[in-house]
Amino acid sequence: MRMLLALVFVVLPALGHAATPEETARKAVAALAPQAEVDAVQVSAVPGFLEALVGTQVIYVSVDGRYIVDGNVFDASVGRNITEAAQAHQRAVALRRIGAEKRIIFAPPAPKYAVTVFTDIDCPFCRRFHDQMARYNELGIAVEYVFLPLDIHPGADRKAEAVWCAKDRRQAFTAAMSGADTGTASCANPVAETSRTARAMGITGTPTAVAADGTRLSPQIAMSPDLLVAELARIAQNPVPARQ
Amino acid sequence: MNRLLLAASILLSAMPLAHADEAAVRAAIKKMAPTATIDKVEKSPIDGYSQAIVGSQLVYVSNDGRYILQGTLYDVDAKLDLSASRMSRENVAKLAAYPEAQRIVFAPSGKPKYKVTVFTDIDCGYCRKMHSHIAEYNERGIQVDYLFFPRSGPGTPSFDKAISVWCAKDRNGAFTSAKAGQDPSPLKCENPIAQEYQLGITVGVDGTPAVYAPDGSRIGGYLTPDQLQASLERIAASANSGG
Repeated sequence: MRMLLALVFVVLPALGHAATPEETARKAVAALAPQAEVDAVQVSAVPGFLEALVGTQVIYVSVDGRYIVDGNVFDASVGRNITEAAQAHQRAVALRRIGAEKRIIFAPPAPKYAVTVFTDIDCPFCRRFHDQMARYNELGIAVEYVFLPLDIHPGADRKAEAVWCAKDRRQAFTAAMSGADTGTASCANPVAETSRTARAMGITGTPTAVAADGTRLSPQIAMSPDLLVAELARIAQNPVPARQ
Repeated sequence: MNRLLLAASILLSAMPLAHADEAAVRAAIKKMAPTATIDKVEKSPIDGYSQAIVGSQLVYVSNDGRYILQGTLYDVDAKLDLSASRMSRENVAKLAAYPEAQRIVFAPSGKPKYKVTVFTDIDCGYCRKMHSHIAEYNERGIQVDYLFFPRSGPGTPSFDKAISVWCAKDRNGAFTSAKAGQDPSPLKCENPIAQEYQLGITVGVDGTPAVYAPDGSRIGGYLTPDQLQASLERIAASANSGG
């Protein structure tokens, strides 16, 4: 009798289909936020938790699927916000999918730093940013523009395409940023793709500057060449650690 | 011997928090936020984690003190914001301790069915809109207890207006005229405005109006009489069902 009971206990868990971490996390997120699309699930460095990635946002799900934490996790041993670090890592991965051939690059002869800037021809702050290009370059910063024409600027996507399709892209871009008519040139272009990538990264405004390690730079910093170079130097010293 | 061990382990697991854990949890919070005041450390619903009340915030800390989770904890099956419900329990005591004599009370003529505490600012549009419904709230049996939370803080015109209203002979009358846009005549007297402002910060007021239900939960924001009544009925129903 004893033996039989023991056997039943051993067999039972094997009969019931044990949920994988992936299934557990997806089920929990779907229960609380049915509209959220989970892109990936991984076991978290935070003990007892899984991480569900929704775009580049990290949501923590307890391994038993009972609890969700929506917020930031700090590793007190190193004094770092590891949620922001994980999200930066995801942004860095997404950024690498936008190759140089999909960007308009303004670089000094020997750049010390590179920064990706999501831009929109009809955005006043983007124009002010571009006005300072000589100074950014002088400080050793290569500015790599990626188009993100916003819906609030109807027609900005067409202007982006026209600039992209010009013979001299950089010149056409600078002219457009000072208000010149872009014309209506049309050709195969990456504008729709880069806009989608930006949205998946949670970037919805322009100009948005992102360092190579995925750190988002605040507009106050990005708009000032001196502050930006200082911040890029700081990040180069202490980048968000790359993960597996 | 085995029995004894078993009994001991059962006892241990039921205990609030081992001493060593609490020290590690406090040290972790102090490390990340040196100026924070830690009010309480207790067991959290998540295995291996404690929860700490730090002012109006609740944070979750791994018992070894390494990880701090700052955010909202949800119970997936119950679809419940556990962070908010824990803070509600914390707030209910703080709000209840605040004496009625120091509130500006607008009560229904009969026995009130519900009482709400509303943090308010004379110079806030939605606070004024809310007060324009005061007769209707009262007709529905809802008593509104106002506490002042002048968002601009001490030493500002909004703060002084609150003091002037408090010091008026007819407090409720002065309150209602101020809410209608009439600046109160400047008065000074002993008043609880600074204390109310501080209480607001402690219970997590970050905008006005801030409406708290009898269970300590924050239910608004500006609420129309229909919305306020519906919220209060829902809360009363879930309290009766033990939920």
